[in-house]
Amino acid sequence: MADLTQSSTLQTSVSTPLRPRIKLRHVVDHAILIAGAFLMLFPVVLVLMTTSFEDADIVKHGLQLGFEGKMLENFEAAMFEASGFTKTITGTRMLMNSMILGLGFAIGKIVISMMAAYAIVYFRLRFATLAFWIIFTTLLLPLEVRILPSYEAIQSLGLANTYTGLIVPLIASATGTFFFRQFFRSIPEELVEAARIDGAGPVKFFIDIIIPLSRTMIAAIFIIMFVYGWNQYLWPTLITTDEGMFTLVRGIKQIVQVLSQTGAMIPEYGKALALSLIAMIPPVLIVIFFQSWFVKGLTESDK
Amino acid sequence: MTFWKIAALNVAVAISATAAWAETEITLWHAMGGQLGETVNKIAEDFNAAQDDYKITPVFKGSYEETLTAGIAAFRAGEQPNIMQVFDAGAATVIGAKGATIPVQDLLTENGVDFDINDYISGVRYFYADSDGKMIGMPFNSSSPIMYFNVDALEKAGVSAPKTWEEFQSVTAPALKDAGYIALAQSHLPWIFTENFMSRHDLPFATNNNGYDGAEGTEILVNNDAIKAHFTALTEWKENGLFEWYGTGWGDNQQPFEDGDVAIWLGSSGSFGGLMSKDLGFEFSATVLPYWEAVTTEPKQTFIGGASLFAMSGHDAEENEAAAKFFEYLTSPEVQYFWHQETGYVPITEAAYALAKEDGHYDRFPAAEVGIQQLSLPGGENTKGYRMGFYVQIRDVMNREYGRILSGETSVEDAFANIEKEANDLLARFAKTQG
Amino acid sequence: MKRAGFTTVWLPVALLLPQLLIIAIFFYWPAAWAVQSSFYLQDPFGFGSTFVGFENYTDLLQNVEYAKVARFTVIYTVLVTFFSLALALLLAVKADAVIRGAKTYRTLLMWVYAIAPPVAGFLGLMFFDQRNGPLTEMFQFFGWDFRLGADFNSTATAMVIVAVWKQIPVNFIFFLSGLQSIPKSVREAALIDNRSATGRFWDVTFPLLAPTAFFLLIINITYSLFDTFGIVDTLVRSEPGNNPVTLVYKVFVDGFRGNDLGGSSAQSVILMILVLVLTIFQFRLIERRIHYT
Repeated sequence: MADLTQSSTLQTSVSTPLRPRIKLRHVVDHAILIAGAFLMLFPVVLVLMTTSFEDADIVKHGLQLGFEGKMLENFEAAMFEASGFTKTITGTRMLMNSMILGLGFAIGKIVISMMAAYAIVYFRLRFATLAFWIIFTTLLLPLEVRILPSYEAIQSLGLANTYTGLIVPLIASATGTFFFRQFFRSIPEELVEAARIDGAGPVKFFIDIIIPLSRTMIAAIFIIMFVYGWNQYLWPTLITTDEGMFTLVRGIKQIVQVLSQTGAMIPEYGKALALSLIAMIPPVLIVIFFQSWFVKGLTESDK
Repeated sequence: MTFWKIAALNVAVAISATAAWAETEITLWHAMGGQLGETVNKIAEDFNAAQDDYKITPVFKGSYEETLTAGIAAFRAGEQPNIMQVFDAGAATVIGAKGATIPVQDLLTENGVDFDINDYISGVRYFYADSDGKMIGMPFNSSSPIMYFNVDALEKAGVSAPKTWEEFQSVTAPALKDAGYIALAQSHLPWIFTENFMSRHDLPFATNNNGYDGAEGTEILVNNDAIKAHFTALTEWKENGLFEWYGTGWGDNQQPFEDGDVAIWLGSSGSFGGLMSKDLGFEFSATVLPYWEAVTTEPKQTFIGGASLFAMSGHDAEENEAAAKFFEYLTSPEVQYFWHQETGYVPITEAAYALAKEDGHYDRFPAAEVGIQQLSLPGGENTKGYRMGFYVQIRDVMNREYGRILSGETSVEDAFANIEKEANDLLARFAKTQG
Repeated sequence: MKRAGFTTVWLPVALLLPQLLIIAIFFYWPAAWAVQSSFYLQDPFGFGSTFVGFENYTDLLQNVEYAKVARFTVIYTVLVTFFSLALALLLAVKADAVIRGAKTYRTLLMWVYAIAPPVAGFLGLMFFDQRNGPLTEMFQFFGWDFRLGADFNSTATAMVIVAVWKQIPVNFIFFLSGLQSIPKSVREAALIDNRSATGRFWDVTFPLLAPTAFFLLIINITYSLFDTFGIVDTLVRSEPGNNPVTLVYKVFVDGFRGNDLGGSSAQSVILMILVLVLTIFQFRLIERRIHYT
């Protein structure tokens, strides 16, 4: 509010006759923003509305405006109805798997990269630079490019269809390490000196000083990594073929396959759409609620 | 409800059996999703309940391609299942890798199961066999492309289902168009209008005896005048509103038939069960695929589609015995008839076919017999099957080029030249992988 | 390194070990494997293999279709990058200009970031459905016979639209934070010097945003090349046919659908080189950035 009065006084002082035009400008600004927000929001709202319709209606008419009475039923089916051949896969199960993947990936990445970054920054190691470059080179190749041999590696270690096989190969990149390295280097050197004078060892220093200082950064990185892990598609598609291991995003592939081969039954569009919404909810909520951390993490970690 | 009771009972029996006996456990990887998968499950449960020595666990592995890839990767890691389902297009890859599988004929005879290839209906007999006629893979879910039609639409137009493409072009299609229908759609161009076009018209599909005599030097013979004339006709029909193509997706092409917009749809005999279970709002029936009288006056049988089961090597004798017993159970007339009824896939043995007839299945559902009738038509020199490596990719090439023809991006002539060249490059590359 | 540091030896080694181990197994070994197998043609089951030298590469480079896929990937990347940057910039400038409701707009414009690409692709399937997709109907209203899955340009359009929709939030966040870091004094000076808002934007704001924009360029190119895999896969429903695909998707199709390990590995190596070039470019950019700020 303070800003508002300030800027308008500034503008009036510049030229009073322009006032109506300035107002028009504001209207245009808001119109553009509303249009943008609408474009972002409307597709998902429309899908949400459609989940309240009968499957037969959706098959015939596609996405629907308005509300009917089927929503609860469709969400319930998506969450709890066992589907697939083995009857082990439900929405809750996939939600759990996605949670494990998102959390496991985020935590694993943070722990491993913090450790590595700490070692690189705070120790006098002859091969620290070498280690840094060995790790840093992994930024070169996204998993998509080395997907085939990674799959081979997981298979020969017998880790297909395991959470370890799902999570660990995704951690094999340097994004986190690189970020924590940058951050640690911005911590004033005097702190280390002070700690050493106090006689604190490296472990104590890490736990008492570094971790508390990094708290905000850890939170920011956690959000980004959680969303990244949750949204993984190609890797879970390849590595999990047992239905009990499906994540929500992987389940979407199965849905698309079933829907595109009109089989014996009326395709369960309502349930499928509900499931796609369930797949969005947790990461979206995290991003919305921890917005400022998330924005900070995103804009600072990628620099 | 009774189904669930029986299933529960079977599970209970299986569990108690586990407790009582040291069973030999084997696994089956398959690509049968949805209702088909439930039928596989039922067969497996019944097999487990029927005896105490063996226990099979079916595992759904995704699409055909995903199942094949998963099986290959597992084999490389020494974790292969006992039985793996492989679709028609993957046959060359699996059969080419000698040592990856145990020929099913050997597996059965070694384990004391009677085997006579002549027990199988003629259309399925040699597709998964080697060039000496030894059966390598057990034909499991066998289907054939057939012609479904909207009976009401044909009546309205005053025509009957066309026997030949000439009849379709000059009589059926124009009448259907006048009656307000799109006359024709189909769901799988490489399968229906290429592979089975070749067998229906008894045209050679590849050199080296359709590829059966080995990968070395095998070349595709797809660039011929008969099929080019067929695709030229398709583009003309499409321009005149007699034929429509809705993309590569199977369902996208089936849907307009179900909606009643398209009068004749070429699909799989395995689609029958699905169509029956839907409330279509019109009566439908089916018959054999038309042929071009200009190409042949003696149309032949078609190839089987679908997939077969391969026994993977690298397991001990007990597990192989269990696999053999499962195959024996699977090919028994009763189980085959059950499978046929539930899914619409054809029964693979003469005995099962006889049982279905005897039981009056085809009196109740005449269209259910079309697939097997078509597979039992007289064979020719080129109708026993084809064997080409990297065939999944060759099909992708066909789909791409056919799509380009039908969306007007390329000419029939260029498309087939392209298919021929790319397919032959792939075949040559495949031959080297076998070295 | 001039930093003060601890001198223990075993501890840093122990701290580094997990990361190095994971990287060795899941990065260096696979990368080496891909390079090696790109020189062979091998039976997928691992029975036979033939050393073919550079044949997998020469086959690819002579293949007209591979060139077409590469060309589409470039066009797709340019379109996705351009539209998602342009729209995000517009929205960020407006969001920076308004005072009322700024926070709400920010939230509404960025949450789509959290949606997984294949989920976005699935929504795309519904919106562009051949029979009853609302956007299909819109295109048809304007006289374009839009047919997802049957017509190359239709599918390509759908891919671009979904990919742009999904990417606007990231660009928006970066642009907005870039705008907000422009010092107030600079803005006020500009306000007095230059009356036209458009002129102010191009003369003052845009140059100050240029480093952010360059950086985003790289992010967006990487996104279009790799992260849109899920969008492509859902929109073509795993059956490419005559539909457009990107280079990464082709690696997957040839390797996992077609079991052509050698050909697929050669494609991977080509992509590795591409990413290497991009990364070197990115490093130089970052260096310059650090130098200037």
